[in-house]
Amino acid sequence: MGKDLQNYKDAFEDIPGTRVFTTERARQGYWLNQFCMTLMKPENRERWLADEKAYLAESKMSDEQQEALLARDYNRLLDLGGNIYYLAKVFSTDGLSFVQAVSTMTGMNVDDYKAMMDAGGRSPDGVRSIKEGN
Amino acid sequence: MAHISAGVATSHVPLIGVGIDQGKQEEPYFKPIFAGYEWTKAWIKKPENKPDVVILVFNDHASAFGQDLIPTFAIGCGEEFQPADEGWGPRPVPVVKNHPDFAWHIAQSLIIDEFDMTIINEMPVDHGLTVPLSAMFGEPDAWPALVVPIMVNVVTYPIPSGDRCFRLGQAIARAVESFPEELNVQIWGTGGMSHQLQGPRAGLINAEWDQKFLDDLTGDPDRLRQVQHIEYLRETGSEGIELVMWLVMLGALTNPKELHRHYHVPASNTALGHIVLENRS
Repeated sequence: MGKDLQNYKDAFEDIPGTRVFTTERARQGYWLNQFCMTLMKPENRERWLADEKAYLAESKMSDEQQEALLARDYNRLLDLGGNIYYLAKVFSTDGLSFVQAVSTMTGMNVDDYKAMMDAGGRSPDGVRSIKEGN
Repeated sequence: MAHISAGVATSHVPLIGVGIDQGKQEEPYFKPIFAGYEWTKAWIKKPENKPDVVILVFNDHASAFGQDLIPTFAIGCGEEFQPADEGWGPRPVPVVKNHPDFAWHIAQSLIIDEFDMTIINEMPVDHGLTVPLSAMFGEPDAWPALVVPIMVNVVTYPIPSGDRCFRLGQAIARAVESFPEELNVQIWGTGGMSHQLQGPRAGLINAEWDQKFLDDLTGDPDRLRQVQHIEYLRETGSEGIELVMWLVMLGALTNPKELHRHYHVPASNTALGHIVLENRS
């Protein structure tokens, strides 16, 4: 499986604008994602919203991850090993819907993003493969 | 004997739950989303169709399972499961009651059949499990069917292949057939259809691919078994991979006949798909 495993994972990196949650990313994002899990309790959400930096001081995540989290820079958080289902706890705590939060990763404003979805969503044409350009 | 009478598949978009919980079904955005479930809601109420037990194949979205524990296939055997708090408080829906004797029977049968299931006794259940129940049953005081939860990891790669999921479905069917109690059982596959919730490519929808997938559930199941992860990712978006859970349902059915189909874009970021299949075993 050695070579096949590498091919399996290399193909993921050929998809434009996408971060597949591989074991490497899962390892890198461990403390970031585990932090997100703590926001499933209302008392933790209150503490987080009251003083984000103080609450982060209890986490083992990296400084980079902390900065990206404070900035709600979701693309950066994906690059640093975050996974969207974990990060959903952060934007849900902020009172954002999936559409509102997800639109911030696309370079579009939320109204334009919604209009795109209402018109049938983003076409796969041109964003299937970096190598093939299709 | 227990028997599988039907397969039901549906997307589990959290927004469907929001629409129901906040009474928005009649609003213009939501109306076409819910209209496609009316047929199923009427069908599933009829005494001859009403399931005693639903085997509900779903994925957890980092609610019960964080990164500390990542089972590939798991089965809920506990008495009941409470709705999860996913960051905005638990959904106001009934507790999910299991049929533990049946669940334990399936668990044992699967393990003997070489599917090494993780056993779950304690688990909060998130929108992946409760939204399909709401879509099919509306807002009852108690869910009208018992639920055996089957959890599939579709979050951390590698996730199981579509073919492995199909074979799990076949093994579930063997387990059901060997349970002595007279039970009308449905198997539900959930999640999908095309959607991507992350990165600059978010919002991807591939209606053509989705419709072919719906066609081939009855037309060419062998093709669907062979669809690789990379194809789901490229063609249906990173979260479209959830469709492998529909293959667990499909594997449990024999020569299924399509009774009803619903497809609508958009529901939030997602192409909503729903199908009802009669099992003709």
